[in-house]
Amino acid sequence: MKYEVERLLKYVQKPGRYTGGELNSIIKDKDKVDIRYAFCFPDTYEIGMSHLGMKILYGLINARDDAWCERVFAPVDDMEEQMRKNNVRLFGLESGDYIKDFDFIGFTLQYELSYTNILNMLDLAGLPVKACDRKELSPIIVAGGPCACNPEPLTDFVDMFSLGDGEEVTNEILDLYKEHKKKGSTKEEFLKEASKIKGVYVPSLYDVEYNEDGTLKAFLPKGDAPEKIVKRVVEDLDTCYYPDKFVVPFIDIVQDRAVEEIFRGCIRGCRFCQAGFIYRPIREKSPDVVNRQAKSLCDTSGYDEVSLCSLSTSDHSEIQPLLSDMIDWATKDKINVSLPSLRVDNFSDELMEKLQLVRRSGLTFAPEAGTQRLRDAINKNVTEQEVINTAHKAFSGGWTSIKLYFMIGLPTETLEDVAGIAELGQKVVDEFYRNPERQKGRGVTVSISASSFVPKPFTPFQWEAQDTMDMLEEKQKHLLSSIHTKKINLSYHATPTSLLEGVFARGDRRLGKVIEYAWRNGCKFDSWDDHFNFEVWQKAFDEFSLDMDFYANRKREFDELLPWDHLDYGISKKFLERENIKAHNAQTTDHCRIKCNACGANKINGGKCDAMC
Amino acid sequence: MRCVRVWFSKTGQAKYISHLDLMRCMSRLMRRAHIPLWYTEGFNPHPYMMFALPLSLGSESNCESMDIRIEGDITDDEIFKRLNDNMPIGLEVLKISEPKMKTNAITYGEYELTFETQQSEKLKQEIEKMLSADELIVSKMGKQGRKKVEKQVNLIEKIKEYSLDEKDGYVILNVVLPAGNTVNINPSLLSGAIEEKSFIGGECCRTFRKRLLTEDMKEFE
Repeated sequence: MKYEVERLLKYVQKPGRYTGGELNSIIKDKDKVDIRYAFCFPDTYEIGMSHLGMKILYGLINARDDAWCERVFAPVDDMEEQMRKNNVRLFGLESGDYIKDFDFIGFTLQYELSYTNILNMLDLAGLPVKACDRKELSPIIVAGGPCACNPEPLTDFVDMFSLGDGEEVTNEILDLYKEHKKKGSTKEEFLKEASKIKGVYVPSLYDVEYNEDGTLKAFLPKGDAPEKIVKRVVEDLDTCYYPDKFVVPFIDIVQDRAVEEIFRGCIRGCRFCQAGFIYRPIREKSPDVVNRQAKSLCDTSGYDEVSLCSLSTSDHSEIQPLLSDMIDWATKDKINVSLPSLRVDNFSDELMEKLQLVRRSGLTFAPEAGTQRLRDAINKNVTEQEVINTAHKAFSGGWTSIKLYFMIGLPTETLEDVAGIAELGQKVVDEFYRNPERQKGRGVTVSISASSFVPKPFTPFQWEAQDTMDMLEEKQKHLLSSIHTKKINLSYHATPTSLLEGVFARGDRRLGKVIEYAWRNGCKFDSWDDHFNFEVWQKAFDEFSLDMDFYANRKREFDELLPWDHLDYGISKKFLERENIKAHNAQTTDHCRIKCNACGANKINGGKCDAMC
Repeated sequence: MRCVRVWFSKTGQAKYISHLDLMRCMSRLMRRAHIPLWYTEGFNPHPYMMFALPLSLGSESNCESMDIRIEGDITDDEIFKRLNDNMPIGLEVLKISEPKMKTNAITYGEYELTFETQQSEKLKQEIEKMLSADELIVSKMGKQGRKKVEKQVNLIEKIKEYSLDEKDGYVILNVVLPAGNTVNINPSLLSGAIEEKSFIGGECCRTFRKRLLTEDMKEFE
């Protein structure tokens, strides 16, 4: 740690966020590497350090002898104030060196409301926020992650985007950069070459034309930039890089445990779920690889908990043998196994027994909608009976509190569907008191979380109008008034943040100036309620005569050119159209193991998809 | 099952590990080092670990101790080696011993406070003057039943002994203050008071706990 940073630490909360030096963090000799990479997470240390993608890419880049990857998080207000006051620039946690002198600054785009933090971090680094004002070859600003599937609102600031899985493409980008750095290329020369790497999108190589009504007219590649940018996929998770060590933080972070990814992609096809589509095709990790990796992570970190990570844990085709082995060694080592993302329809008795062997964690299920009709429309193939049965099993097994996740504002939703959420919650409460095997002497708590639905790119709902703030608020009130018991806790989100999330999720390049204006007027940490300032955002849109409704609350026709149509995530537009029509008819689609629905994702993986084997 | 006292130092950037974080850090260390710990019996088994006296965030020390309970055959030398092989930067095991005293025997702590200043000779005189006066009043958050209240403390009455030194432009205050479960004076109260009351201007840039002492000023073992 450098003295100039250290002397600020006594003025800030949780100095452990800025010290570095955690177990397993990697220190290299900077004179012996060719490439310095700053991996930035545009939120606080506690959140960023919980993110699996960062752990993977941190390990992957540092596995190279010629590169050194360091971690960077958004400093919290008190630290930012100290840094600005004392002219301390944003630095890498490992070396303490300023990241403005690095070769790459990589951002992960996990949620839309972190965009202003990216600008703020670039500014804190001492760099111009706009890509066109950074003339030198380095640092190259690269961004990836789920929100990169519609990166258009960020194209003013980011030099290049990495689409899809980062494991392979990151190394290719670094190799190419090393070559260009050696021969003294300009930034333009490097970016032009980089755009030829599969999965790399260089926005400055495209011109955009708009129609008079504000919709897109054309996306025009300049020179020989590819017309379609295809996302990258890792073919085989068993042989793909996975870290055997995690940096173990001293301070308490959100997800403070070993995390083992068991598969990528999802077989379910819930129509609201972007992750369920953009991470296709399905690629499973074999049980023995999972166990070997998970054990190694626990051994090197000292964690007493390992969490299996995927979009739907119980859908792994070999989950039973996988867990049997895992419980064996985990129990012996007194390690707790936690299984997030369980589905109500295949949460079996055996699974429940296994979960109880070590320590009991919470139970959360996501029926997503309150009535069968709406669950069919969103293709959440779960019946009320399955929810009740699962609750029954859980209560018999000694659980007394259950969390249920729902969404409001789903396409085709009526007030009846909203009231259905409260009814389903009530039925779960009733099920508890009907169950003779329930834990006696304790009441039941059903926590209902009702988030607001935001239509996202590459889902069958990408054309839908998002509910306006008024509509969402009406539904929230209706839901609240439909709950008649204190056994149910209800939580829901503020509507302006959902609106803004919707705007940026489906936004176009014109939003860059809005983001810059909002940031210059104090917006940052927008996903934190205490920071979010909706008035400034409204002013920013007014300033450029842009309309939030146009982006969020407008229904698009199938033939409209969408801002992400030049990106190919494997999912065919025709498939999404079919799914959209079925949604409006409340028709379900079988999941991928029953029948392949020809989404198209396997074509970018050489025709392979583990859902079909 | 046997009880073992692990003595360790906490220096450099490890001073930013808070007490709560240190406990978590140590239990992970035990796992990585495969120390055969005795676990509590019950619904949520956890290893037994007891720290003699928490060190405040930002302070360094070379006299920290932690009691653990060992089950199974392992020598003290082996524990020492395995722990040090797995320690994060800034923490180091100094020795392993049998606990000779109970932790409530701790009555005093000896600290070294280092002050950074433009004029060390003058600051030293100033501190000397402050500490030889009858009163050095600071306010301290204390408890009255369950309520938190602000209390006035005269530090002069609390200081058991002290010495002042000047070295390389720094002023070094060696001071023995009450420490332990009954009366505990955080050295930052003293350094804060000196920073605030000094005209010359000085900033305490290092707080180092050197020794823990019993009532009769013997070293805690």
